[in-house]
Amino acid sequence: METVFISQLKALLDAVAQQMVVFTPTEVGDSFTYARYTHDGEVKAVLNPVRTCSPAKEFLFPMREIAAVFPEAISPEEVQPFAVFGLKDCDLKSIQILDRVFYEEEFHDPFYISRREKMFLISSDCYDPKDTCCCTLFEGRVFPLKGFDLNVSKIKDGYLVEAGSTEGKMFLHRNERLFADAPSAARAERDRNRQQAQQQLEQINARYKLDRKVEEIVLESQDSPVFDQVATGCVECQSCTRICPTCHCFYLFDTQRENAFGKMKVWDSCVRQDFARVAGGENPRKILGDRTKHRLMHKFVYFLERYGIHMCVGCGRCVDSCAGEMDFRDVLVRLNRELVNIKGRS
Amino acid sequence: MIANPYQPLTATITEIIDESPTIKSFVVVPRQPFKFATGQFIELTLPGQGEAPFTPSSSPSVTEKMEVTIMKAGRVTGLLHECQTGQPVGIRGPMGKGYPVDDFAGKQVYIVGGGVGLAPIRSLLLTLIDRIGDFERVVCRFGARSPEDFIYKPALFGSWKQIQGLDITLTVDKANGNWSGNVGVVTTILKRDDVDISNAVAVVCGPPIMMKFATLKLLDHGFAPNRIYLSMEKNMSCGIGKCGHCMIGKYYACKDGPVFTFEQIQNYPNIWE
Ligand SMILES: Cc1cc2nc3c(=O)[nH]c(=O)nc-3n(C[C@H](O)[C@H](O)[C@H](O)COP(=O)(O)OP(=O)(O)OC[C@H]3O[C@@H](n4cnc5c(N)ncnc54)[C@H](O)[C@@H]3O)c2cc1C
Ligand code: SF4
Ligand code: FES
Repeated sequence: METVFISQLKALLDAVAQQMVVFTPTEVGDSFTYARYTHDGEVKAVLNPVRTCSPAKEFLFPMREIAAVFPEAISPEEVQPFAVFGLKDCDLKSIQILDRVFYEEEFHDPFYISRREKMFLISSDCYDPKDTCCCTLFEGRVFPLKGFDLNVSKIKDGYLVEAGSTEGKMFLHRNERLFADAPSAARAERDRNRQQAQQQLEQINARYKLDRKVEEIVLESQDSPVFDQVATGCVECQSCTRICPTCHCFYLFDTQRENAFGKMKVWDSCVRQDFARVAGGENPRKILGDRTKHRLMHKFVYFLERYGIHMCVGCGRCVDSCAGEMDFRDVLVRLNRELVNIKGRS
Repeated sequence: MIANPYQPLTATITEIIDESPTIKSFVVVPRQPFKFATGQFIELTLPGQGEAPFTPSSSPSVTEKMEVTIMKAGRVTGLLHECQTGQPVGIRGPMGKGYPVDDFAGKQVYIVGGGVGLAPIRSLLLTLIDRIGDFERVVCRFGARSPEDFIYKPALFGSWKQIQGLDITLTVDKANGNWSGNVGVVTTILKRDDVDISNAVAVVCGPPIMMKFATLKLLDHGFAPNRIYLSMEKNMSCGIGKCGHCMIGKYYACKDGPVFTFEQIQNYPNIWE
């Protein structure tokens, strides 16, 4: 029993909610954000056609949290199990990326890990990708194959639910009465839907196809004027890095309350001018174009060299959020074209 | 339970030494013994106020107390300079990789330093002096803005001069009073025959501009890029390779450094800035 059928999403979420708090996508304008699911119907069980607007990192690495209290240490608060429904393949990949960082051999981040171990991941297929989605440019898919506890696929008469982990399988077994067998016709329908959505997205991104590996293009463009040119549109709002599901820069901020002192761990952004400035005034990325370049270098080159994967999942959130209307796909295409032209001339 | 790398160890400032008009050394006694390797650094917290990275300037063979030498450079260092003895502080670390002292064995060690860059160098020197026979020679070329600006004056002008196998030359940008030594920036006293380059390593620590020109001079003298060890000062916060502040290309200065060979970082943009 690894893939089963259920006719109503509500029945599935109610069963999960009996065991733990569930966060589910809820519509805000024309996008989705997460809200706490309630079975009284106030927050409804809806399947988001595409990723939410807010990044999944908020569940694991919140915008601000207490990282230490002293002189007398306190232990991290006990995290209760929780489920997040509506994650997409790009969200699952973003969590795998953050795992690499916060579970790194020498230094484990106890706050991230205490949440991560209690998180039950329920993903779903994307059935209507947005025009800013671009996971397919980075070897991504519009449906998850791994990294979830449960994955939900919408079909005509209901939903297919697949278990992707021991916890997921246990859940299906425990709630056997809710599910029916998944007929092969239903699976075939699911596969057709997936293929169609995948094609739809590939079409959306056809004009952003690159001639070479993205890491080669970015690395070889180190001296390109394109970074300074595109940076002229940037207003340094930092929303790209904040909404990015993989960006994880932070700083430790010291605070005081009565007799105790604390360290807060707060999101930071490499777009910020003084991010790398040292006391003597030196700053390796004084110029905005250099910060734009660093962001792409980190995502596509440095992180890959260090961890063996790109730090971009192609969710397109930065494109949606950018106040300066920068689309990193355009930037990559321009760099690509520039390299081809240089090669062509020499 | 996983240890919390953001949790400081409580410590107390027990002594404050005026080194120069802008630099003080602080003797810090941690609540429990604290081990570090020379060249590794700590994050020092002034409770409620902020945190900054410093390389202990004392010998790693002493674990019940350590010395940190701090130049007044901004907000947190300014507040530290106002502290009195008895001030509680916090320590996180030790962080990063220190100097590969064992790799220096049998070689001539050429140490170029300036300003508060002598802080990590003192810790290194104390380590080298403990086993001075292991190195062919230890040759130091130190600079300061003026004679008053030298730190560790009792050692520089006294005890270190007596040590066999240790050769120290000083220079000042601007002489005054009865200074009879060299005048000029530190690169002016780097001579091709100071050490036998075929069997030498260089260690450079100081203000970025000095590090840049010293490195260029050493390269010009024939030092291989993988024989020049640089202490890179970068903006830091977490100290454990996560927060992103200290990146030099793919490296995290806090975790992979702060000591790098020039070879490791030479191709990344703006390393001296
Ligand atoms: C590995 C290493 C070892 C070092 N060893 C020594 C040493 O032995 N002796 C020595 O004198 N110096 C040493 N330094 C330099 C020292 O760390 C800096 O001088 C110090 O950090 C300056 O801090 P400041 O707050 O006084 O300066 P500021 O100029 O006020 O701050 C410096 C930077 O810290 C950041 N910052 C400031 N306030 C905050 C805040 N509230 N929250 C978040 N970020 C903030 C800013 O980005 C700013 O650019 C070392 C540096 C490194 C990286
Ligand atoms: S979202 Fe756009 S305008 Fe805002 S900091 Fe990022 S690139 Fe600049
Ligand atoms: S100081 Fe945080 S990554 Fe180096």
